[in-house]
Amino acid sequence: MSGDRIPLLEATRSQDKTWEALAPRYGVTNPNPPWKTSLTAMCDCLAVSGALPALERRNAEDELADTLYNDIPSPERELLALVHTMVSRGLVSEADLVSRMKTVRARLEEV
Amino acid sequence: MSHTHTHGNKDDSHHKAAPMVEEVTDYEVLEIAVRELAIEHGLFTAEDHRRFTEWAESIGPAAGSRLVAKAWTDPAYKTLALTDGLKACKEIGVDWAEPTGVGTPSDYMEFHVLEDTPTLHHVIVCTLCSCYPRPLLGMSPEWYRTTNYRRRLVRWPRQVLAEFGLILPPEVEVRIEDSNQKCRFMVMPVRPAGTENWTEEQLAEIVTRDCMIGVALPKPGRTADVHPIQKARRPVKSSHQEAAQ
Repeated sequence: MSGDRIPLLEATRSQDKTWEALAPRYGVTNPNPPWKTSLTAMCDCLAVSGALPALERRNAEDELADTLYNDIPSPERELLALVHTMVSRGLVSEADLVSRMKTVRARLEEV
Repeated sequence: MSHTHTHGNKDDSHHKAAPMVEEVTDYEVLEIAVRELAIEHGLFTAEDHRRFTEWAESIGPAAGSRLVAKAWTDPAYKTLALTDGLKACKEIGVDWAEPTGVGTPSDYMEFHVLEDTPTLHHVIVCTLCSCYPRPLLGMSPEWYRTTNYRRRLVRWPRQVLAEFGLILPPEVEVRIEDSNQKCRFMVMPVRPAGTENWTEEQLAEIVTRDCMIGVALPKPGRTADVHPIQKARRPVKSSHQEAAQ
């Protein structure tokens, strides 16, 4: 069911690490996190390719924004809702995501 | 060997780079991870993603300007724009439902055009975050997303508008429309005097982004690419000027 909680996303969600909370801590004035436009483009790509039509994604996001992720601000909420919808529909698996997040983090933190 | 980053001015040696968030968050990692997997699974290509990113960052307010200019010159279209904003957008090539290449970045599907009159002036804001009619106006200006604008506009609209140089007479009612997760708005200003017999293209040039947000009024001769021309009343001589004398 699309409304079921996804453990990975429960572990990822954090009010303390949203851009709204993080940017002032570092004195950053840019209103959006650096990944925001990439997220927008990803939604558009999914719509154009037919993998996830825009209206279906928006409706799912509306529902999830009101329920599971209502305490998380935008754009983090958009990201969580998108990934939630993709996992629910089998477009990506939670296990693959868990694994990939580890390798991505290691890459980003590599000195 | 040491290197000082300058731009030819000795004062630049004190310039500090804008601060960055020196932390990799799980949100950032999640966005990259899901995108990489989507590409590997063949849901879209890296090239398409790059193109959409480039496009999303470069679209401007031209579509909104066209909509207003068309409505000013075509009464039937104006009626459509005020009653069915999405359909009116489609007529000028902007489809909020499908990213067609000239259409929408990811956005919502409720859109209303707010008609100004000689006694009613609209301004849009998003008090919660930064909701904005991007398919028509492109990316929002940075000031639109500041708490200064978002919080103060709804409380002291005339004061905030005055800070943009827009001072409205008391007989003009100011109405603030708060955009939200579900619904976007755009202002259709009053067609200014002195534009009779203008073409749609000419009219579109004076309907700048700020006019459609509501912090400015269209005026013949005032286009987005016109630089300020008002000279300072009490200029102070700079060291550059003194050196040149």
